[in-house]
Amino acid sequence: MSQLLQVSALQKNYGQHEVIKNISFELTQGTATALIGPNGAGKTTILSMLAGLLKPTNGQIQFDGIVGDPRAAIGFLPQYPQFNSWLTASEFLIMAARLSGLTAQTAKEESEKMLQFVGLKDAANKKIGTFSGGMKQRLGLAQAIIHKPKLLLLDEPVSALDPAGRLDMMNLMKSLQQEMTILYSTHILNDAEQMTDQLLFLKAGKLVEQGSLQDVKAKYEHRQIVVEFKVVEEAAQFVVKSTLSAEQQGNIVILQTDDMQQVIRELAKETFTIRKVEQQSASLEEIFMKVAKL
Amino acid sequence: MMQWRVLLQKEWRDHVRSLKVLWIPLVFVLYGVMQPVMLYYMEDIMKAVGNMPEGFDMGITDVTSVEVMASTVGQFHLIVSLIIVLSFMGIISKERKNRTAALLYVRPISFSSYYFSKWSGATIVALVSTIIGLLASYYYTVILYNEVDAWRIAALIGTYSLWVLFVVTVTVTASALFPTGVAGTLAILLTYFVQLIDSIIGQFWTVSPWKLGTYAVTWLGSKPDSSDFWLSVVVTVIAIIVLMFVGVFGARKNMENIKI
Repeated sequence: MSQLLQVSALQKNYGQHEVIKNISFELTQGTATALIGPNGAGKTTILSMLAGLLKPTNGQIQFDGIVGDPRAAIGFLPQYPQFNSWLTASEFLIMAARLSGLTAQTAKEESEKMLQFVGLKDAANKKIGTFSGGMKQRLGLAQAIIHKPKLLLLDEPVSALDPAGRLDMMNLMKSLQQEMTILYSTHILNDAEQMTDQLLFLKAGKLVEQGSLQDVKAKYEHRQIVVEFKVVEEAAQFVVKSTLSAEQQGNIVILQTDDMQQVIRELAKETFTIRKVEQQSASLEEIFMKVAKL
Repeated sequence: MMQWRVLLQKEWRDHVRSLKVLWIPLVFVLYGVMQPVMLYYMEDIMKAVGNMPEGFDMGITDVTSVEVMASTVGQFHLIVSLIIVLSFMGIISKERKNRTAALLYVRPISFSSYYFSKWSGATIVALVSTIIGLLASYYYTVILYNEVDAWRIAALIGTYSLWVLFVVTVTVTASALFPTGVAGTLAILLTYFVQLIDSIIGQFWTVSPWKLGTYAVTWLGSKPDSSDFWLSVVVTVIAIIVLMFVGVFGARKNMENIKI
């Protein structure tokens, strides 16, 4: 797979204040990358620079295989998309498409398709001023993808939505993953885990961790195996007999090992009634907390 | 061109749906008509109100249509720049403030097509309103008093339109450069107040955009001094072009000030 975007030594200062400090990363075509970090880490600033709204103080943003104005090949959904409230959804989308270079005819057809895709078909001719937050978010996605960009930038696409809206949005994003490279920022890590090829952890303007979801997870792996017994007594018995370092919490035993074979062998020696044996992996949530403390 | 057209369509929808296309011409027509009608009925009004000393002659029954038209333009002149500035001072700055500009600026648009879509939309509304207002005033002057040469009115409207273009350009450019409040203040200073100063101490020079209002009126009587008039026109056109460049530059420079 080929590279779409290369960011090297990116830097953004506001006066003396360094908001983004020397960040480099790459985006491979057809992948989804999550930009993760606490509030104020600089996620929005990075996305704005990629979208061409802000000029980097230093460093390079290089698009491979995009000739001409890179903005034509980028779709951007801001965290709180704001629309001209006097326009209807369909008028706005047609305008957006035409400004990105589509012909009048294609713009009209695409706007209808997009409204269908994001589920706003019935509201096509309503003024955007009457829209709810979720509807605006979906219209925001529609305007970001109507010109079939190569790179889709989404700033906190799901954080402002309720659980149902979040699920909708994630599904929409997943269906787009086939066609475009996606870079999105989020602090809802559960969602990031569902749809990520690459993770970028950002903290105070610095990239503190990056890699594929598997790699990052492996790095922060717990090396713990959790066994859940049916009764507490059996759990206690097992702790006494086990050669591994074990800790009992009610009917649950936590073993400090990643050797599943050995655990099963030990369990098999007795006739315990076991509910569950699992290798516990670190959730992004925990990784986030660890990384944020670095 | 295509971007300009698409953006102008958006502007036009704004002006239509915010009813700017209705109330601005309406105010201009009202102002244009008020003076001839008021002057015509002044005597009746004064009689109806009473308290007139016996045998008092106002001396207003024998005004000529040229005098009426001239005083109308004077009245008109007082509010035109005010209304244009107040209506359009946020035309660019407001989009930055409410962040709607972000969704435009992420597209491959040029700032000149952006600026000129704004300028064109405002110009259409302001110019059409001015022309309708002055024509309405002309109409009432003719039916209540006597005929005025049509070419004189055409010259007046033409000259006055250039002043309106100047006011619109100052306003749109100020809005491209500054936040709405600053833009409005600056535009009012540059049109309304400089014009006041010009009318007080302006006898020391003869060439300036702020003289256009005066020159427009002189078409009714003698005719403005030819070289002074045309020099003022040239200076105004140059000022408008320079302001446009500054406006495009300002819109581009302020892109970074959108908080998203």
